[in-house]
Amino acid sequence: MQTDDLIRSLAGNVAAVSPHLVERRVTVGIAVGAVVTLMAIASTLGFRPDLAVAMHGFTFWMKSAYTISLGIAAIAATVHLSRPDATRAQWLWLLVIPFGLLACVAAGELFRTPIDGWLPLWLGQSWKRCSIFVAMLSAPIFIGMIWAFRQFAPTRLRLTGATAGLASGACAATLYGLHCPEASAMFVLTWYSLGIGLAALAGALIGPRFLRW
Amino acid sequence: MRASEEQLRIWMIGGLDGDAEAHTALLRALVPMLRSFFGRRLRGAEDDVEDLVQETLMAIHTRRGTYDRTRPFAAWAYAVARYKMIDQFRRTRRTVPIEGLEDILIAEGFEDACAARMDIDRLLGGISDKQARAIRATKINGLSMAEAAKAGGMSEVDVKVSVHRGLKALAARLKGDG
Repeated sequence: MQTDDLIRSLAGNVAAVSPHLVERRVTVGIAVGAVVTLMAIASTLGFRPDLAVAMHGFTFWMKSAYTISLGIAAIAATVHLSRPDATRAQWLWLLVIPFGLLACVAAGELFRTPIDGWLPLWLGQSWKRCSIFVAMLSAPIFIGMIWAFRQFAPTRLRLTGATAGLASGACAATLYGLHCPEASAMFVLTWYSLGIGLAALAGALIGPRFLRW
Repeated sequence: MRASEEQLRIWMIGGLDGDAEAHTALLRALVPMLRSFFGRRLRGAEDDVEDLVQETLMAIHTRRGTYDRTRPFAAWAYAVARYKMIDQFRRTRRTVPIEGLEDILIAEGFEDACAARMDIDRLLGGISDKQARAIRATKINGLSMAEAAKAGGMSEVDVKVSVHRGLKALAARLKGDG
């Protein structure tokens, strides 16, 4: 095809584009993925029975605040990387703030607990499955983000895959908190973070294949 | 005559708002820019150049939603072009002779910064005549170092040094202008 013909055919299809297209598509992708994840939790794992009571307590909000703030930083980084002229990651350094704060809470916990109580504090009841569930539950949200990226132009594919995986892992961990009754900061710091990290790793591994354009 | 950054941006934003005429003008203006961008990097592969120009035009069209209206346009467009070129290398698994990769890398940073920020002529007016000629020949008209040397009656080393120093001076000026 001649370049002139190409231009003519492209110019025949000039719909107005919202200035907030990127943010809008990312929001839709995450929201749809989150609904699927939530349904998966509701139908297989179930919500914690004491959810209504727990929502009045500190630990529930500590967990949510941790995973939500990780999610916000990762989503901001992913949105930034959706544009071709983004050459390096932005916002990711913000991740150290929630991690550092939670580490302080965890240190306080250890300080108040006698040494023989440390292991149960760290492993809880569900350390064996927590991380893997978080990673698995992140899949629908990750798919939602990949869908959003179908109109984007990332150039750092592996990095973008990793931040998208991180974001979906953090969102999944937030929702997993509706099921998981674990209450110690040490537990969340280790096993939630590991699950989110696994999601980021998976994103980095498969990202380039799905993000190419 | 090349369209200025400001003009390209106005067309781009017009296209984003649904103005087909502005969008057409933008794509037409991009054709020579992209031809010389790819031509310089894939010397002697005219078909590939035209393929890449078309691929880039299509990507610029379908992914125009990722352009942030507050940011420089040329940097965005060249980023798309660069991605398309690298992607093609990857797809065809072919090595392409790129003379002086270092020069190209320097030129890319220069391109982003300068195409986005000011008129090339005004810029080149600010450095020595010899450096400006060397940069114009190699970076804008796409000649190789050897060709530029022959055309300008200078030695090849002289051209290289002039380009290097000229770019450095330009970079310093751009920073100072900030």
